[in-house]
Amino acid sequence: MSDTAFTGLILLAGALFAVGCFGVLARRAILVQLLSLEIALSGPALAFIVAGARHGQAAGQGMFVLILVLAAAEVALGLALYLRLRRRSDVTDSDTLRELRH
Amino acid sequence: MSGNFAIWAASLAFLSALVAVTRASVAHVLIWLLAMLLSLAACFFALGASFAGAAQVLIYAGAILAVFVFVVMTVDASPPAQETERARLGKAWIAPALVAVLLLAPLAGLTADPTTPQGRAVPATELGALLFGPWALAVEIASGLLLAALMGARHLGRRGRPEGRR
Amino acid sequence: MFGIVWTTDLLLLTIPSIALTGFMLLGLDPLRLRAFEIRVLAILGGVGPLIPMLVFATECFHGSCIGAVPIFTLVVGESTVALALQLDPLSALVGLTVSIIGAAVILYSVAYMAGTALGDLRRFFALMHLFLAAMLTMVLAGDSIVLFLGWEMMGLCSYLLIAYNTTSAQAIRAGRKAFIMTRFADAMLLAALLLLFLEANSVRLDALIPAGVAAQDGMRPIIAALLLGGAIGKSAQLPLHTWLPSAMAGPTPVSALLHSATMVAAGAVLLIRFAPILAAEPLLQALTAILGAATALFGAASALVQQDVKRLLAYSSISQIGTMMLSIGVGAPQAAAAHFVVHAIFKSLLFLAAGDIAHHSPQGTALAALRGARQRKPLAFLAFLAGAASLAGLPVITAGWWSKEAMLAAVWSAGPILWVVALATAVLTAAYATRAALVAAQPAPAAEAAQDDSSDTGYTLFPLAFLGFGALLAGGLVNPIIRFLGGDMPHAPAFTLAVAAIAPIAGAVLALALAPGAADTPMPAARTGGRRASVVDRVLRVLVIQPFVRLVRWVNGQDGGVEDPVGTGPARLVVWLRRTLAGPTAPDRADRLYKRAFVLPFLQLVRRLNGYGSGVVDPLGNLPARAVLRLQRALADALAPDWIDRWWRRIGAALLSIWTSARRLQTGRVRDHGLAMVAGTAGLLLLAWGYSWH
Repeated sequence: MSDTAFTGLILLAGALFAVGCFGVLARRAILVQLLSLEIALSGPALAFIVAGARHGQAAGQGMFVLILVLAAAEVALGLALYLRLRRRSDVTDSDTLRELRH
Repeated sequence: MSGNFAIWAASLAFLSALVAVTRASVAHVLIWLLAMLLSLAACFFALGASFAGAAQVLIYAGAILAVFVFVVMTVDASPPAQETERARLGKAWIAPALVAVLLLAPLAGLTADPTTPQGRAVPATELGALLFGPWALAVEIASGLLLAALMGARHLGRRGRPEGRR
Repeated sequence: MFGIVWTTDLLLLTIPSIALTGFMLLGLDPLRLRAFEIRVLAILGGVGPLIPMLVFATECFHGSCIGAVPIFTLVVGESTVALALQLDPLSALVGLTVSIIGAAVILYSVAYMAGTALGDLRRFFALMHLFLAAMLTMVLAGDSIVLFLGWEMMGLCSYLLIAYNTTSAQAIRAGRKAFIMTRFADAMLLAALLLLFLEANSVRLDALIPAGVAAQDGMRPIIAALLLGGAIGKSAQLPLHTWLPSAMAGPTPVSALLHSATMVAAGAVLLIRFAPILAAEPLLQALTAILGAATALFGAASALVQQDVKRLLAYSSISQIGTMMLSIGVGAPQAAAAHFVVHAIFKSLLFLAAGDIAHHSPQGTALAALRGARQRKPLAFLAFLAGAASLAGLPVITAGWWSKEAMLAAVWSAGPILWVVALATAVLTAAYATRAALVAAQPAPAAEAAQDDSSDTGYTLFPLAFLGFGALLAGGLVNPIIRFLGGDMPHAPAFTLAVAAIAPIAGAVLALALAPGAADTPMPAARTGGRRASVVDRVLRVLVIQPFVRLVRWVNGQDGGVEDPVGTGPARLVVWLRRTLAGPTAPDRADRLYKRAFVLPFLQLVRRLNGYGSGVVDPLGNLPARAVLRLQRALADALAPDWIDRWWRRIGAALLSIWTSARRLQTGRVRDHGLAMVAGTAGLLLLAWGYSWH
């Protein structure tokens, strides 16, 4: 596999992260923001896999496994928080949650 | 050949992600996200990371998205709700888009170091030996994280006494 | 990279793990447990750590301490993070004491807490187990990370246990106070440990302490001072003592554990552990000694006038730990360790006995609730007497005398002034111990004597009897302990020994002189008339009460009660002490001072910074703009304003408006703050990219 292909893949990984960031920043629905976080997390995951393949080392996939764990934990807590918020007051818009500012 | 396939799959993932974050309906976002995750899995397979690809399909696309589907069922997806979501998007996307592009700028000059020897496909056994050998501590910490998330989600999600009272 | 080498030494891990498992089973496990199962688990988790601890400690006492047991090692550059447990003489001794006291207290609380609701019972034992595990972890720690972990866990548990009664606002306040005040200590300890890490490039204690001793560049006094600060806060020494008397809001077994072997004593253990560093700094050593002596005297004087038995014992703990600090400060940490052991025994005994006597009493924990103990709970009364005698340090027959003697001898060699203070403390200690014992010896008012609800079970009898014998007989251990820790038994001239032996007796006489009414009350056997006096009663009357009564009559002049020459002087002293140390507002005096000096100004500052009260939003951000406006007003308005002045003015106004619009960035919305974060990251990346761009 050519080095150009690897460079392109790393660029795409960065782009995935940027798209995820964009989603978190531009969307107001909490659920969509959580989904965008998943996109953002898959960017680094791709980068690790690509680097692992380029160098022929298992560490890349090892990091991917750790990212997977992180994503799972984040989704579990994020969705639980979301449901809790929904139950408290019917909130789907993250912009209305600004009570931490005095 | 496989390199080209990986590039195509990753580009597909990127495009699906782009579409996903711009859909108004949460259900549509979810479908496009699924497309993204599956094409990423294909990319992983093409790169020789078969374990990662399988994990991506099973855990991400299988488990994590399934949980999202359950939650999405509780969301109001009627056309008026979609309209408000579309209206909310408004012009607020410009600054985030600029910042996201700025994030990418440092990657512009990226080149691979040709002196590094080319790698090979990493078998899953090596990954296992890494994770349960030298990385055992990291795996333990990760399991602790999962446990904490489990307990936290259970605690947050229980249907307890009404809010405001202990 | 790390790998665990399995050896039998790793069984050292089981000591805290058993208690920790108890905590997890009781505290986290979703299973429903019945009262019986909770009790079984409580006993297993409480007594369990004692078994491996006994094995390891016995081995250690026979001269083969296993030393440091690495758990895992991570090499980061030139530093190593090496988690380890450690069994050296000090940790064997303290660990054994802690696990014995812990087992006794938990056994006792099985009976004490019998009437509690299931959920609360579970929470109580889970937290007690965690508390015990934390102290054992701290004692057995072989590196600063594990040490700090145990130390912090203990702070958390003390908070949760003091505020155990979640329906009482006072208990919650007391818990919060304890937590916040010990937090200062924790921060100082953390700073000390981090500085030591920088010196040693290792977290292992066997490398840290020599590195601390060898530290240069004026670092050593800072480290020693921070360590001292940490110990003072945790041990409730002056001036951070106020949390301990309030901490009495927790259940009695909690106080028994908190005061004797864990938490409060942890500060002393810490200083004994790091004594070499302190010994290398004579100035701080002197400071330790002076603070210890002052605390000891203050605590004893306060204890003398308390009306609540738990508060009395709290001030007594403050005072006793103060004498340990004094002993550490004069360079005799081994004597302090010996007194730690003895103090742990008799203080837990006192708490347990007092709790048993006053349990379900209508007076709560007031000193008066102890009255009638002899009829209601003869064994608890005997145990209380044994504990009080040991606390008073009655010569030869009590353990307290032996350890106190060793400390006094060490203090004598350091200087007569400190010795005099320590002696005065000993007199006062004996006085308040006697006072408490006298109250317990009084018969209960007839109305209360009738209600005798609970009978003693083995759960209370065994710990009380065991600790009671320990409080009297453990004196023989003092010398071996000091030897075992590598110190010499301090020697002092014979006359100081004699004076020190008279001190407790003088204190007891003082107490009798101050409370003539207490001893003059008629013999309870006579009052109850027909009831046959038990053997206990008879023995007590012959051995303790009649000599006391005679002594009091003698001191007061034959008649007793009328104008007595000795009594008025001390009585006046007590009235004065009571007014200053135990008046209606006295316990809060230090608190109020702290509140005025630290808490209120801090709150004021925060409020100001947040723009409350001044009517200005975000005063900190507005400050530069306002300064510019004021400056231009002062400069420009003095002269006739021309067009330059107008421009100059506009700059000030512009700054203000810029600030107001910049403040809109703080929206409190997740997205906006996220945007700022991502933009910052992008900026940093661009910067790094620019630097790497040759």
